[in-house]
Amino acid sequence: MRRSLRLAAQYVLVVVAAFVLNFGLPRLAPGDPADYLAPPDSAGVLTEDERRDILSRYELDGSTGEQFGAYVRNLGRGDLGVSIRTGEPVRDVVLDRLGWTLLLVGTAVVLATAIGVTLGFAGGWRRGSKRDIGLLTTVLAVDALPAFFVGLMLLLVFSVELDWFPVYGAISPGELGSWAAMRDAATRLVLPVATLTLAGAGSTFLVARSAMVTELQEDYVFMARAKGLTERAVRRHARRNALLPVSTAALLGFSTLISAATVVESIFSYPGLGSLAFDSVVARDYPVLQAVFVLLALIAIAANLLNDLLYPVFDPRVRAAGSAA
Amino acid sequence: MRTRHVSAAVLLGALALVGVTSSGPVGAQDEPVVVTIGLHAAEKNLNPFISPQALPITHDFTMLVYDTLFWSQARLDPEPWLATGAEPSDDFRSWTVSLREDVTWHDGEEFTADDVAFTFEYFADGEKAGRYGHHVWEHPQFESAEVVDPLTVTLNFVEPVPSFELLPGGDLPIIPEHIWSGVVDPEADATGLQVGTGPFRMVEYVPDTSYRLEANEDYFFGAPTVDVLEMPVVRDAQAAFAGLQSGDLDFVTRNLPAPLVEGVEGNDQLDIIEGTRFESVYLTFNTRKPVLNDPIVRQAISRSLDLDTIVELVEGGLARPGNDTWTHPDSPWAHPEGGHDFDVDAANAMLDDAGYARGGDGTRVAPDGTPLAFTLLANSFAPPQLRSAELVAEQAAAIGVAITVESLDPAAITAARRPPAPGESPPVDMFIAVFESHAHADPDHLYFFFHSPGQGVGAVFSGIADPELDAIMEESLATPPEDRLPQMEEAQERFAEVVPAVTLYYPDGRWAYNVDTYDGWISDPGHGVFTKRSFLADYANVEGGDAAGDEEAAPTDGDEEAAPTDGADETAAPVAAGGDDGPSAGLVIAIVAGLMAVAAAVALKGPKRNRAGTVED
Repeated sequence: MRRSLRLAAQYVLVVVAAFVLNFGLPRLAPGDPADYLAPPDSAGVLTEDERRDILSRYELDGSTGEQFGAYVRNLGRGDLGVSIRTGEPVRDVVLDRLGWTLLLVGTAVVLATAIGVTLGFAGGWRRGSKRDIGLLTTVLAVDALPAFFVGLMLLLVFSVELDWFPVYGAISPGELGSWAAMRDAATRLVLPVATLTLAGAGSTFLVARSAMVTELQEDYVFMARAKGLTERAVRRHARRNALLPVSTAALLGFSTLISAATVVESIFSYPGLGSLAFDSVVARDYPVLQAVFVLLALIAIAANLLNDLLYPVFDPRVRAAGSAA
Repeated sequence: MRTRHVSAAVLLGALALVGVTSSGPVGAQDEPVVVTIGLHAAEKNLNPFISPQALPITHDFTMLVYDTLFWSQARLDPEPWLATGAEPSDDFRSWTVSLREDVTWHDGEEFTADDVAFTFEYFADGEKAGRYGHHVWEHPQFESAEVVDPLTVTLNFVEPVPSFELLPGGDLPIIPEHIWSGVVDPEADATGLQVGTGPFRMVEYVPDTSYRLEANEDYFFGAPTVDVLEMPVVRDAQAAFAGLQSGDLDFVTRNLPAPLVEGVEGNDQLDIIEGTRFESVYLTFNTRKPVLNDPIVRQAISRSLDLDTIVELVEGGLARPGNDTWTHPDSPWAHPEGGHDFDVDAANAMLDDAGYARGGDGTRVAPDGTPLAFTLLANSFAPPQLRSAELVAEQAAAIGVAITVESLDPAAITAARRPPAPGESPPVDMFIAVFESHAHADPDHLYFFFHSPGQGVGAVFSGIADPELDAIMEESLATPPEDRLPQMEEAQERFAEVVPAVTLYYPDGRWAYNVDTYDGWISDPGHGVFTKRSFLADYANVEGGDAAGDEEAAPTDGDEEAAPTDGADETAAPVAAGGDDGPSAGLVIAIVAGLMAVAAAVALKGPKRNRAGTVED
């Protein structure tokens, strides 16, 4: 009981810190929304009066303290404001984008985990074998390629040369909801997901491989072999235990891949949170940035929490240690 | 079976992907001409009261939906458009404009002189934002409008406006009174579909993502040559040109980069059309900073720059080196001589004579001890500008001027250009940016940008305050266009002497397009090719312009008129009416739920057997 109270307190503290940081970070960048609205290319047609108008329109003309007060009040009311860049309600924009990002990142996490675990266990099982070295080299090499490069290569090969997939967007404009539209959305998902999967599979592979290697050095494996269990049975035992660190890596990888998605979404013009965050940083669109960062922080925190809660379920040893203390 | 769960998940995922790829394009019936244009940036909803975001295409994009009285500001003899003509009073302070008959707004309302009077009054009132208004409330200053009859209106100005047909006549979008008359805060509407008189109607706008425009069949110049303009925003340049090569896009609003020209020339489906938007890449000095406030220093830096080399290295030779006289050589106002004075020895001699001696590290020092060391800001999102900045720094080093390049995003550069308090000098030393046609075609452009602080935006721009330049430009404001050239030339000569800015080069306009889908593109000087005339039968490069439009009372969406294009067939673009995002959320949830189920299966299978397996532990 006391443990869960402490855990809850910790999480509340982290969430509050995220909310405060979230207000401050966007404002640390030089320039403000009015500067974006008068980019250098437009010869800076904004006069001082127009600047003031724009800032007061978005309640950005007060002191930092006043702005923070408004931020907290609005957050409390669930009012996220209006995007300075597009004029849409922030809540709608963010929720709309969140769906696409969850689809993209969710699919990529599952695939990256599946591929990483399969290959990682295969390599770790026979550490130092030709297969292991081959896998390790290949995975490390692929992992070292930056996501934008991989994305562009996939684009050139599969969209330009083979013409299998469209190059931009999440869905064709126009009518949605039909079977054809779903297929269209799925088709447009392939390349971004492939890019993100390649970006994420490397770390899962390394975690899975080293977990397998570690397990194989445990006494129970030695014991099992001494008992004459088949290799297949030994492998099954080892694999179960090795899955523990992998589940943690997969949950935490979710937030890592959301940041990696920024690049991928930009290349494929995918309307997710990452590209939204990027465009909003450029525009100093504080209301959207605040909402996106809060959401990303909450997702990361939730993944952590889930991990904290699931670990004792997965691993009886942790449960035993917890109740003993 | 249990041991195979991970591999099964992989297989499942792979199958899902493979299953998906086998699907072909959405079926299409009797094809209207749909041209898909990749926009390099989003432009909000084309509301003319919102600051431009997708320069340099903002004006031409907006003008697909709206019209001006004349077209266009980029020529000395603009063509009557919504107007049929305009007569000035003797003192050029009032203009009587006669209007075209039988023009309707996209919503069916009739266009009349009231709309024109309203437009001028509305833009002039309250210093509204956006790039258009200041040509009505700043210069020239609008005073009043009188509607003479439904097709005639007299517009009065506070000062003489000899170039009315160009500005604001060729620039100000005419807006419908019945829509805007009740709007107090025009900037607030950033998502609504705009209603204009232009060749295309806005039918769908997904913020940040896409636009869909459909032909205005009743357009007064005849139905446009294209039925639908589908315009997704494709920000990534590589992706955009990949889309062009794969056939997903028919046109890209970005200039074709020099390295891609060869590849496009080798592609049968693609063609290149050249034109100009009067773009220029320029370097501006903060002329109020110590040392940089000395014209000798600015002139010396300008002379140290080998612009031919910059053009060669940055644009692969596909650009023209800048003129010291600033104005784009294709602008009607350009100085006929132009040219750039590149002379490192002369630059060194100038600085030696003025007492800027070289210090120990080779960097010159002003007589008061200030080193000639500056920071040059360049847009981190514009590789050609960054590359130019690096070359400028390299070349200026030869005359003992140390320049450090700093790459920032546009908002940070604008912030550095802003005076900390009114009247003070902004922190920036110099920056590189781009101008498009409006800045070169506007007969008042030198006045707006380089008049001394306090008028126009001169203060924001370079801070230059040169009484001689001021005097020439003030005189030219009140001179009719035909007598104005000598004054403009004089102003440009003075500009080259005081050097508030240096034009590094004028990029050539080069755009690639898919010939099979639409071949009608034309070059409209000052506008490039992404402009309304490319879609009008009287101008576009199409066979047999059919200006004899059909008179349907209510044009329906799926009309089957075959627009005249050269052998256009098999445009495989899916055509559908607008809809909203409801079902996409369902799709997302369904797929995510499916994935979660797979993930849960993988996760849960492990620990269950784990308990059994670790008994020995």
